Amino acid sequence: MRSLSYVRAGNVREAIEAFAAAGEGARYIAGGTTLYDLMKLGVERPAHLIDIASLEGADRIDTRGDVLFFGAGALMADVAEDDVIRRDYPVLAESLSKAASQQLRNMATVGGNLLQRTRCPYFRNGAIGAYPCNKREPGSGCAGIGGVDRGQAVLGASDACNAVSPGDWPVALTAMDATIEISGPAGTRSVPISDFYRLPGNTPHLEFAIEAGEIVTGISVPKTAAGRNSTYLKVRDRESYAFALASAAVALRMDGNHVRQAHIALGGVATRPWRAREAEALLNAQTIDREIALAAGRAAFADARAGEHNAFKIELGARTLADAIMIAGGKIQ
Amino acid sequence: MTQEPTADRPRIDAYEKVLGRALYAADQPITGLLHAMTVPATIAKGRIEAIDATAAQKVPGVVRVFTYEDFSQIKTTPAARGAYGQPGKGHQPMTSPVVRHRGEAVALVVAETLEAAIEGAEAIKVRYASGPFSARMEDELASPEAEPDRQLSSGDAQAAFAAANHRIDVEYLHPQQHHNPIELISTTAAFEDGELRIYEGTQAASAFAGGLAGMMGMDPTRLRGVSPYTGGGFGQKNGIQEQSVLVASAAALLRRPVKLVMPRGQLFHTASYRPRSRHRIRLGADEQGRLLAGLYETVQQNSRYDGFACDHGANPPRMYGYRTWQGSDRIVRVDTQTPGHQRAPHEHPSSYATECAMDELAEAVGMDPVEFRLANDTQNDPITGKPFSSRHLAGCLMRGAEMFDWNRRRREPGALVADNGGLIGLGVACGSYKGSMTAAVTTLRLFASGRCEIATSGHEMGQGIRSVIAAELIEILDVDPTKLEIRIGDTGHAPQHITAGSWGTGSVAPAARSAAMKMREELSALTGAPLSEEPVHVQLARTRRLSLEVTVNTIPLGKDGQVIEQLRRGIPSTTGPEYPEFMAFSWIAHFAEVHVETSTGRVRVKRVVSVADCGRVMNRRTAESQVRGGVVWGIGAALREAGETDPRFGGVLNNDLAEYVVPVNADIGTIDVDFIGEPDFKLNMSGVKGLGEVAMVGAAAAVVNAVYNATGRRIRHLPIRIEDLL
Ligand SMILES: Cc1cc2nc3c(=O)[nH]c(=O)nc-3n(C[C@H](O)[C@H](O)[C@H](O)COP(=O)(O)OP(=O)(O)OC[C@H]3O[C@@H](n4cnc5c(N)ncnc54)[C@H](O)[C@@H]3O)c2cc1C
Ligand code: SF4
Repeated sequence: MRSLSYVRAGNVREAIEAFAAAGEGARYIAGGTTLYDLMKLGVERPAHLIDIASLEGADRIDTRGDVLFFGAGALMADVAEDDVIRRDYPVLAESLSKAASQQLRNMATVGGNLLQRTRCPYFRNGAIGAYPCNKREPGSGCAGIGGVDRGQAVLGASDACNAVSPGDWPVALTAMDATIEISGPAGTRSVPISDFYRLPGNTPHLEFAIEAGEIVTGISVPKTAAGRNSTYLKVRDRESYAFALASAAVALRMDGNHVRQAHIALGGVATRPWRAREAEALLNAQTIDREIALAAGRAAFADARAGEHNAFKIELGARTLADAIMIAGGKIQ
Repeated sequence: MTQEPTADRPRIDAYEKVLGRALYAADQPITGLLHAMTVPATIAKGRIEAIDATAAQKVPGVVRVFTYEDFSQIKTTPAARGAYGQPGKGHQPMTSPVVRHRGEAVALVVAETLEAAIEGAEAIKVRYASGPFSARMEDELASPEAEPDRQLSSGDAQAAFAAANHRIDVEYLHPQQHHNPIELISTTAAFEDGELRIYEGTQAASAFAGGLAGMMGMDPTRLRGVSPYTGGGFGQKNGIQEQSVLVASAAALLRRPVKLVMPRGQLFHTASYRPRSRHRIRLGADEQGRLLAGLYETVQQNSRYDGFACDHGANPPRMYGYRTWQGSDRIVRVDTQTPGHQRAPHEHPSSYATECAMDELAEAVGMDPVEFRLANDTQNDPITGKPFSSRHLAGCLMRGAEMFDWNRRRREPGALVADNGGLIGLGVACGSYKGSMTAAVTTLRLFASGRCEIATSGHEMGQGIRSVIAAELIEILDVDPTKLEIRIGDTGHAPQHITAGSWGTGSVAPAARSAAMKMREELSALTGAPLSEEPVHVQLARTRRLSLEVTVNTIPLGKDGQVIEQLRRGIPSTTGPEYPEFMAFSWIAHFAEVHVETSTGRVRVKRVVSVADCGRVMNRRTAESQVRGGVVWGIGAALREAGETDPRFGGVLNNDLAEYVVPVNADIGTIDVDFIGEPDFKLNMSGVKGLGEVAMVGAAAAVVNAVYNATGRRIRHLPIRIEDLL
């Protein structure tokens, strides 16, 4: 039987040391909802698990200062149900409450959530498929391109991979200019979320700007009045318990009736959480109506490229964004 | 006899199940049990050139790696693949180096623990020579059969169609679907008390003695099939599975008990499924909306080697009073595992296609779809001319229309708008399912203590068959349900039929009822007087006998004593829908209300009303939940489910419950159910017709028709997804 060592770390320092000491095949594990899944699919074969689910203070949610701070170990359910977040930053709360299922949200952490992997069926189907997949087996090719591509990305794809970045929370964080706090053997650093997710390019197996042994300790989000006028709209193949076909995180900072600053990011359509700067610029200084909302939606997809079955995502994505802008705009008193 | 036969009683096994005490096949505590795992083929067609098991054999805990070289003694018999009626040439994986579909087992690793078995299976390396293939009906190497499976006709439909005032000519496509019962398919084989016992959640425990024994060259009397509970079958568990004989053979070769629980990802490739089908329908009506002609041609995918028939044409001509009809059903062979029965196997796809076509024709004629159906109601089967044993379809339509407030409907699409701007659509569709029965052998034992034991033919797969048996015994004998032991699904207690096709209730209810009546007779003979109002066991106690046993063979209408012999030998033998004097069907009408979000095209099913004519209702609670379950399946079929195949690779891509999208609670609105409740005593003494399958027939079409009424768009494939309405 494949043996596995397991230690539970008490604090960040201990976790980093345990990781270094374990050597080859070490993995952190938080809620385990991604890691166990990937182990069952044969994507991950860890030899050592360092459990970081109960690191001291890692589940801290702090909404008092200038930034919102979420400890990496905070549960998705706890952040989704936090009263301040629900009231002042619905985009964040909704991106979590519309993800996965209550059971999963009760286990999964907001730090682990950042590092979930794609749902591309070719990537996930190792045992029966053994399909070419550059993410799974670098250099093996990509079955996703030219395949059953209904779920694949229309933004940010390369010739090596067009898999969608699956998470909802990272999309909301991208809209809200979050920063990822990281600790590692060499100390601590802060990475803007815009630098945390990589485009697939020629190296689709490299997804995150985090080194082996480094640990995400928390996520900071600058406070903004835009939070109140915000929403996360998610369109999927069923009403609950499914990943997005298209989603939009929208937060609007207003000046009277005019948009002073729009925060917009898209999910379900791109190879990484997708900041839609063109759409933001288009809304600048405008009053919100259906027409401008749809124009912003279209602008966000100006560079989109579709395969055989996913062209609908371009129109759906644009309309989803337009609906989200209307919802966020509708919250303006 | 104080209890109402149609009483709303809790399921007799509800507590056991909720408490997790009900032991399913894979839960059996067996000492010395070994665990097995299969290695799935990663090509769709070809030959195994070499299998390297060296690494697997070194995994600690691995006992043995089996390949086709170990299993060449397994015989492929006509019964091998179970219940498909027509014996095919068959294909049993791992009996030769030939691979005929992606995902079939190419090796079986047996180990002391499940973990070791999985690790061993992952360590096996197989080299293949792969050949050209087509896994979809539309692809190049798919081969249509020259001869249709079935042709039904009456009159000159071509001519009548040509002369009709109103005509439609449309084609509907139904995708491949997978049952996905929550209980995974498993096989446990153990030699116990000198016999080989196969524990398997199945609808056909007797298939083992009948089929597996033959495959293994064993004496059928030394093989016992045990299916204590089946955690959802829906037809996927009505035959011998691809892995059954492999596990049994492994146990025989190792002389130790072996268990295999197939992972869900592999089940999409090894178990049966609902095949993809295409339906061309031409309907013609006159100025008054009378149906003059129906022409119906279907094609359905099948494997290269088995006999699962295309049978879509059987029900549609019976729905209405067609003046003429012509139908033909044909198979197209592709490189997949053999499809099979999935709840309302042909009735659901054919009702989807033809009931949507009826909606199109009603529109063309300019009639309300309910009115149009009522105008074409019939009490005689247009094909055979025989009367129906009972048909209250008009009653279903009228009661349903009232419950649903059908009069709200506007003929022009998109006329009803919800407060949030969503488009409201209302749709109707009907369904039917044959009234079938099969033979049963029942032993009923009453004890003076008040205990009562019954052993009979039938399987519990969640449909509530135990509750049906209890209802009859309570009605006739007034026994205490808490002192009642029901033994079914076990060939050690009674011969077992395949429990499918909605004949479970129609067979077991008369079986239990006649055993109970015989018990009253024997007891009265024993006491020498007519029975009194006192509890039967008290009257028995007075005779100083500890117990009294009766055995009854029930032979369904139109059959003779031979069926009991067939039942004992595990040979399927059922009746219906045609009987000497009549045709028997259950009927249903479904009404659906959908709201369509204009910007994204999302469809939400707010309400469904379903009214069924299933003869007598044995237990209102389980009957309602059968119908609700059927409606949920219909909604799933209309808006959610499809197995996705990549033509370049074969196999199914979305092979887990996260990606094979079935409805969740949030997808389901209100479902109101009612029954006509008229017993059909022509069919059997209990007056019951089937319900489990008819429940779903027509439900998808009602949703699709409602989508049309909301949007004005006829989507002629399933599922209707966001991109279809954007
Ligand atoms: C059936 C299903 C449906 C789902 N649906 C959705 C959905 O609709 N939307 C959505 O957004 N998500 C969805 N998810 C994904 C889910 O949100 C993630 O699995 C979850 O957030 C991961 O968190 P975790 O704590 O369980 O991570 P783990 O599984 O413990 O870890 C995930 C990965 O991150 C690493 N890791 C964890 N914590 C840290 C840390 N602090 N520092 C460094 N590395 C770390 C681990 O080593 C591992 O590689 C779904 C998951 C499942 C199984
Ligand atoms: S799209 Fe990406 S994840 Fe999917 S098969 Fe191609 S390389 Fe692999």
